[in-house]
Amino acid sequence: MKKNRYHLEFKLFFRSSSSWIGIFVLLITGFAGLYFGKAFIAKQQAVIEKAATLQKKNTLNNIDHFGDDIGLVFFHNKFTLANAPDHWAAFANGQRDINPYLISVTMLGLEGQLYDTDINNPVSLLLGNMDLSFVFIFLFPLVIIAFTYNLLSEQKESGIWSLLRAQTNQSFQVIWQKFLVRVVVIFSVALLLLFVAMFYLTLRPDLTFLSVTVLILLYLTFWFALSFFIVSLAKSSNFNASALIAIWVLLCIVIPASFNLFLTRNYPVPEALQNVINQREGYHEKWDMAKEVTMKPFFKHYPQLKKYPFPEKKTFSWYWYYAMQQMGDDQAGASRLAIEKKLASRQYFTNIFALFFPTIQTQLGVNKMAGSDLDTHLSFQQAVRRYHEQIRLHFYPAIFLNQSVNDTDINDYKLQKYNRQEVPTIWMNILSVSLLTTAIIGATAFNLKRFNS
Amino acid sequence: MSNRINTIAKQTFKAAFNNSATLALTLLLGLSLCLATYVGWQNFKMQNNQRLHYKALVRAQWLAKPDKHPHRMAHYGYLAFREKHELSFFDFGIESFAGVSIFLEAHKQNTVNFSEAGFTNGMLSFGEISVAMVLQLLVPLLIFFLGYNSISAERESGTLKILLCQDVSWKQLLWGKTIGIISVCLSIFIPLILLTILLWASLSHWQISIDSALRLLLLVLTYAIYFFVISAITVLVSAFARSSKSALITLLACWIFFMVIMPRVTQAVGVKIHPSPSKIEFADAIAADVHQQGDSHDPNDPHYAAIKDSLLKAYAVDDVKKLPFNYGGYIMAEGEKITSKIYSKHQNELNKIFEKQNSLTTITGFLNPYLSLKNISMALTASDFNTFVDFQHQAETYRYQLAQKMNKLQIEKISNIKPGDEEKPLAISKANWAEQPDFNYHFKTLDTVLSNELLALSALTFWLLFTVILLQYSTRWIKTI
Repeated sequence: MKKNRYHLEFKLFFRSSSSWIGIFVLLITGFAGLYFGKAFIAKQQAVIEKAATLQKKNTLNNIDHFGDDIGLVFFHNKFTLANAPDHWAAFANGQRDINPYLISVTMLGLEGQLYDTDINNPVSLLLGNMDLSFVFIFLFPLVIIAFTYNLLSEQKESGIWSLLRAQTNQSFQVIWQKFLVRVVVIFSVALLLLFVAMFYLTLRPDLTFLSVTVLILLYLTFWFALSFFIVSLAKSSNFNASALIAIWVLLCIVIPASFNLFLTRNYPVPEALQNVINQREGYHEKWDMAKEVTMKPFFKHYPQLKKYPFPEKKTFSWYWYYAMQQMGDDQAGASRLAIEKKLASRQYFTNIFALFFPTIQTQLGVNKMAGSDLDTHLSFQQAVRRYHEQIRLHFYPAIFLNQSVNDTDINDYKLQKYNRQEVPTIWMNILSVSLLTTAIIGATAFNLKRFNS
Repeated sequence: MSNRINTIAKQTFKAAFNNSATLALTLLLGLSLCLATYVGWQNFKMQNNQRLHYKALVRAQWLAKPDKHPHRMAHYGYLAFREKHELSFFDFGIESFAGVSIFLEAHKQNTVNFSEAGFTNGMLSFGEISVAMVLQLLVPLLIFFLGYNSISAERESGTLKILLCQDVSWKQLLWGKTIGIISVCLSIFIPLILLTILLWASLSHWQISIDSALRLLLLVLTYAIYFFVISAITVLVSAFARSSKSALITLLACWIFFMVIMPRVTQAVGVKIHPSPSKIEFADAIAADVHQQGDSHDPNDPHYAAIKDSLLKAYAVDDVKKLPFNYGGYIMAEGEKITSKIYSKHQNELNKIFEKQNSLTTITGFLNPYLSLKNISMALTASDFNTFVDFQHQAETYRYQLAQKMNKLQIEKISNIKPGDEEKPLAISKANWAEQPDFNYHFKTLDTVLSNELLALSALTFWLLFTVILLQYSTRWIKTI
């Protein structure tokens, strides 16, 4: 009997054209999201491959042009580290459009090169990327609202509700069944898209896949709970639609957008501009100073380099030049740490704030798993620092001894790829979304009790 | 005739505010608008003051540099900061996504770095609340809530028939309802505009420029047209819909489609159709062109060898050291000329590609009034793509002039005979540095801005005409029952 009723509810649901429209909208935008998301990352991958061949070519060119002067070769030669995209990055492009994924640096001052951006169309950045996470976070809730807002009110407005109440004392069961049918349909569509994504984006069915799936299903549950809560208030269809859309606008647009404004206001980053100035002065002022102003702190920084004789008398030497460059970085050390501290406190504040807003929480969680968040970019920057330092220490002796470039292993330095070391976890995000969902379910249950009595 | 429209408009206005939910929503929106305005204004002041502070610091450091070789100064270079237009607190546009500082040095064109977006953790994909965002996105939603049942409710309650029997024409009804709904919007919009004018005037230290005043006036006008278009569409949908419910659902679906989904999709398609080169490809193409034209850093380059020969011939000397001016400076000036010309050519091509990518979104303005207003609003508040490109352009011009100024100083004032390996380097007096003026960005004037935005402006005009025609002539297809 009960099974039969579900069967009928499904039939009823699929007979309505608006149900099909909703499902089609999700599938079509979902596939579009997959396509554009993958195309975006595929382009980055192609560029990384191209950069590898270009680095090889440019190194040969530099040796060819400036080979007589080793200091000049390293003045020009760039070493590239690429933030190789994870397969998941196509699922959630995140910050990968804004932050550079290729950083090419010469052996000169790093602080003057590390923050160079990619060439981007700012309008594209403003309007945002189209990827599957966008469909899950913004569009699924809207279809959930469209499917559920009139569950009860429609029955009431068409007069069925009073008939039903007269015939059975389990009238609310009917609404509940209708609701479950919609949950099953939306979850199936979500799982179908995730399944397609698994093949199209070649995602491995591992813990990452599981946690993203759990997070997204929880997020959808949150919207179902919210929708059902509004339905349980037993107001008119128009009220429900208006209220739910207003909540969607608040959660998906107004609150995050206002938060951004406050973040900019409370955590400005003038340290970044200060850092540029510090680096520039730290290096350039040394040209007008006695050589020991540069060399003393330089040897203090690298006592192991003291054994290479410094040409004191020469007006210009590469030894002095690279040491001056190093001074730019050293003098920007404090402001560099200040930027890092400021970004960390921004991050902390965002994470606390996000705890209360599932939309932000889910977006941040998915970005984190996809490795397209700020944290991944900052660790990529750290990796560039380490790589740059390693290159400096490796080639300093050859430059300081004025050896021939051909005696160095510069040609062995190919484009390096940075892959993050550990897979992140998003327990906190999952926990916060499920707690908020539970709270709403609790409120709904309370409401229904009142409603039934 | 106009009397009746007036009566209906007044009635609609009053009815809207009698509804406590509408009143609450309107007040809430008004309040959040004032808050957005105030915080946006504060952010503007803080960010702009930071930039001005560092701008002054950079200038002072430039002037304080001691006597040295002019080419050292060319490498010391300049830091330029992108100043904000005083109206940009109204509409942030691409502000947060465009870089703030650019390092200008000899031989090398750098990127504009440190955009606000680079400091945030994906949160900016949700947008950033500004007055413009509220007016463009949320006020239409308010209009939809106010007006979805403006006609359909009259029909459902049976008052529509009575109204039409009493010699009220459909045209009067539609116009009256539209004007009534706009009046509700204006009750938020007008105080907001006054607040904006006040804050803007205080930003410009009470010395307002005609150009900005005209920009603001046009902003007010275009937003008013936008509200009219949205209100008219709402009333028309309500008139044509089967029921209030279907009117509401149609309007909400339109809102989501046109304001949330469409902008992303059109831009994504634009980017896909017109792919732009990556930074390394861009740099490689420039390097290839430079190599073909002649590389001043390459001692064996044929282009420079030819210059050398002709100079030796013209001055009838056998060694460049015997030339009456600094040969190195001359060669560098030539190199800078060639490379910067090539760079500018490539940069212009790149900007053309970006424009093509954006043009799809601009053209969709004819399908989507939101996008046309968004473009106009960004342009008028100088927070748009064109302003950013113009900043890059002016910065590059300044960079070129600085490099050539230093080359000229070298050609004229530096001896042609290189000092020995252990001798003091050649230098000129620090008094020369002041000859290089400070970098000041000049915003484009309004007429240039308007001519750039012709497409978006005609899209909005199209919408205005289209809705007026619909209000006037579509009435014959509306069903009374």
